[in-house]
Amino acid sequence: MPVIELTNVSKSYNRGKVKAVDDLNLTVKPGEIFGFLGPNGAGKTTTIKMIVGLLRPDVGRVAVDGFDVAKDPLKAKQVTTYVPDSPAVYERLTGLEYLNFIGDVYGVPKAERLERIGKWLDVFELASVVTNPIQSYSHGMKQKIVVTAALLPGPRVMILDEPLVGLDPRAAHQLKEMFREHCDEGKTLFFSTHVMEVAEKLCDRIGIIHKGRLIACGTMDELQALDRTEHSLEEIFLELTDK
Amino acid sequence: MSAAARNDAVGARGRLGRLLAVIRAGLRSNFGLAVLKHRLFKEKKDRWLVPLFALAAAGVLPTLYGIVLLIQSAYLLLKPMGQERALLGAGFLAAQLLILLLGIYYVISAFYFSRDLETLIPLPLRPSEVMLSKFTIIMVNEYLTVAAIVLPVVITYGVMAKEGVGFWVNAVLVYAALPIVPLAVVSVLVVAMMRFINVSRKKDVLILVGSILLIALVLALQIGFGRTAGPGGPEASAKAVAAYFTSPDSLLNRIGSKFPPSVWATKAVAGGFSGAGLANLALLLGSSLALFAGIVVLAEKLFYRGLVGLGETTGKKRRLTSDEMSRRVSSGRRAVAAVFTREWRIMNRTPIFLLNGVLVVIIVPVIFVLMATMGSGKGGSGGGSDLTSILETMTSSNPLFVILAAALFMTLCGSLNGTSSSTFSREGVQFWISRVIPVAPREQAAAKFLHSYLISMLGVVTASVVAAIVLHLKAVHLAAAAVLALMMGVLLTAVGMIIDLARPLLDWTNPQKAIKQNLNVLLAMLADIGILTAAFFAVKGLVRTKLAPNAVLAVLFLGLAALAGLSYRLLLRFADKRYPEIDS
Repeated sequence: MPVIELTNVSKSYNRGKVKAVDDLNLTVKPGEIFGFLGPNGAGKTTTIKMIVGLLRPDVGRVAVDGFDVAKDPLKAKQVTTYVPDSPAVYERLTGLEYLNFIGDVYGVPKAERLERIGKWLDVFELASVVTNPIQSYSHGMKQKIVVTAALLPGPRVMILDEPLVGLDPRAAHQLKEMFREHCDEGKTLFFSTHVMEVAEKLCDRIGIIHKGRLIACGTMDELQALDRTEHSLEEIFLELTDK
Repeated sequence: MSAAARNDAVGARGRLGRLLAVIRAGLRSNFGLAVLKHRLFKEKKDRWLVPLFALAAAGVLPTLYGIVLLIQSAYLLLKPMGQERALLGAGFLAAQLLILLLGIYYVISAFYFSRDLETLIPLPLRPSEVMLSKFTIIMVNEYLTVAAIVLPVVITYGVMAKEGVGFWVNAVLVYAALPIVPLAVVSVLVVAMMRFINVSRKKDVLILVGSILLIALVLALQIGFGRTAGPGGPEASAKAVAAYFTSPDSLLNRIGSKFPPSVWATKAVAGGFSGAGLANLALLLGSSLALFAGIVVLAEKLFYRGLVGLGETTGKKRRLTSDEMSRRVSSGRRAVAAVFTREWRIMNRTPIFLLNGVLVVIIVPVIFVLMATMGSGKGGSGGGSDLTSILETMTSSNPLFVILAAALFMTLCGSLNGTSSSTFSREGVQFWISRVIPVAPREQAAAKFLHSYLISMLGVVTASVVAAIVLHLKAVHLAAAAVLALMMGVLLTAVGMIIDLARPLLDWTNPQKAIKQNLNVLLAMLADIGILTAAFFAVKGLVRTKLAPNAVLAVLFLGLAALAGLSYRLLLRFADKRYPEIDS
C-alpha cells in the first residue's frame, strides 16, 4: 500500500485564475526516498502543503498512511512530520522547550525522547546551545532544530521542503545520512530540492513537476529511459522543463 | 553658483528624495493599502468586513452625537465666565497626553522591534532617515487616534463660536503639529533608554522595566493635572473661586500649566489670525520644529547604537549533563497543557505582548486606585475624591447596585485587554506549527481559552482587591460580583477569540501589529461594549419587574452561565471549522 497517495489533486489560487497544481496523481511507497523537483513556481510547495494538511485541494484526494488528510486529519498528522522551506519557529522558546513541546503533542515517551534528542543534538552540534532561546540561533541552527523536532516523534513519513537550503556542508552531509538511515527503517521521506546531484544520488524515485503537472516520475533509470539517453538528471530536468 | 554649491543643492535634493522614498515605503507597508486592495478586489476576501465597518460606524454615530451635545453644554456653561477656551485646551491636552502614553508603546516597537529594520539598516540611509520614517508612521497613527478626541471639540467649538477663516486654518496647522512635541519627548526618552539597555544582556527585562517607568511617569503627570485642574478644591474660599473665574482663561492656563504646548495650541486656534493667535502658532510650530531637529541630531548619534544588536541575544554555550537533560526533558504533558505552556511562555517573554496583556490587567485597577486616592489627598480637588464619594453614595443605597457596579468594574479590568482577541494573531508566521501538529483544533482553542481566561481572572482578582480597599465593599458583595464577572469573563473571552479566529492577522513583522494595531482587538472591544450594554438593559428590565435583588442576581447569573457555556461550545466548534481554512 502506498504511504503517500495523491489522486486527481488540483489546487488553484485567486478563484481559479492561477492553477498551481493540475490533476496530480502520485504515489510514494514505504521505505522510499522521493525527490520532488521543479522550477520555481511549479507547484512543489503547494503540493507539499496539501500533503501535510496546510492547504486543502480544490478537487482530488490526499492520503497519508491510508488516512484521508481531509477526513481524518489527526490520524494523518500523527504519522507525519514536516520541515518547511523557512524555519519559522517560536523564537522566544529555548531549543529544548520547543523539542519538549513537539514531544508532548506527538506523545513521545520519555525514554525515546531522551535517546533521540541526545542523538540528533550531537549530530547537528546543537547540544551546547539547546537551553538558549531560538532567537539567538543562526539560520542554519534554526533549520537544524526544526529537523531535530521533525525526527523526534520517529514519524513514518517525513515531508521536507528544500531542507538543504542554509545548511553548512557538514550539516547537509549529516542530513543526507539521516535520510538514508530513516528510510532503511522502512520509513518514508518526501522532499523537494533544487540540488540535482543530491536528488540523483540519494533518491529512490524522482518526480518532476512543471506548471502544476507531473511531467515525469520514476527511478533514475526510468527517467533516462524516458529520455532515451544517458543524460544526467540536470540535463533531463532542463530538457523536460524547457518544453 | 559654484560647482560645490550646485553639488550640495543636488545632494540635498537627493537626500530629501531618499527620505521621502523611505517614508512612502514605510507608510505603504504599515498601512497595507495595497494588501487591502488586493484582498478586497483581487482575491475578493474580507468583503464581509465592509458592511461590518458600516455597522460599527453607524453604531458609533449616536455616541458621537452624545459627545457633541456634551461639548455644546460645556461650552454654554463656560462661555459666560470667559472660560470657554478651556474646552479647547482640555481637548488638546487630553490628545497630547494620550499621544505621550501610547507613544511609549508605538515608539519602542516601531523604532526597535519592527523586522523591516533588518532590511533598512544595510541600505545607504542615514540613521536619522530610518528613524524619521518610523517617526512619520507613528505620527500618522497618532493623527488617526486623536482625531476622535480633537475633531469633535474643535469643530463644535468653531461652529458654536462662529469662528472665521483664521480659526480653521490655524486648527489644521495645529492638528498637524500636535503629535510632534509629545512624540519627540517620548522618542528622546526611549532612544536614550535603549542606548543604555543595549549594553546589558538582560534587554527584555530592562525594556519592560523601562516602559513601566515611562508609563508611571506619564501617569504621574496626568494625576498632577487632575490635581491642578480645578479652582482649588473644596476647601478653597468662595472669594478665591470668584477671583479665579473672573480672570479670563485662568482655567485654560491652569489646565495647561504643566504642559504649555496645549495652551499654545489653544491660543493659536482660538486667536486665529490675530497677533496673539499667530504668536502662539509660531511658538507651537517653532518648538515642534526645534524638538524635531533635536531628534534628528539624536538619531544620528544614538539610534543605531541602541538598535544594532537588539535582535541578537547571546546565550552561554554549555552542554547539559545527562542528569540535567533527563530532568529537563519532559516526561509528557497532555496536548492541552503543552499548548497552554507554549502560549504562556511566548506571551510573557515578548515585551510588547506582556505590556498589552498581563500588565494591562494589573495597571488599569492601579490607575483607578491612584485616581481615587490622589484626589482625596490634602489640597487635592481632582475627580478622585468626587469619584469615590459618588461611588460610595451610589453603592450604599442598594446592595444590588453595589454588586452590579463592582461586577462591571471587575469585568472591565479583566476583559478590556487584547489577550483573547489576539490569541491566534500572535502566532504569526509560526501558525503552521499549530496546523501540522496532531492536536485537534478544539483542544488548541481550549488551551488558548484557558490562557486568556487566566489573564482575565487576574484582572478580576486585582479589581476585587481594589474594590475591597478603595470602596470598602463587603466580602459577600465582592464575592457575588466576582462570580458574575467570572461568568461574563467566559463569554467575553470566547467572543474575543471567535473574532480573532474569523480573521487572524498572521503576516505581521512587528509584534505591535499583532496586538496593539490589530483590528480584531478593536472589533472585540466594540463587541464587548455591545454585550455589556445588552446586559445593562437586561438588568434594567429585571429590576423593573420588581423582583427581589437576590432573584435578579440569580436570573442574571443563570443567563450569563448559559451564554458562557454556549459561547465556549461555539468557540470549539468554530475552531474545528476554521483551522483547516486558514492559510499558513
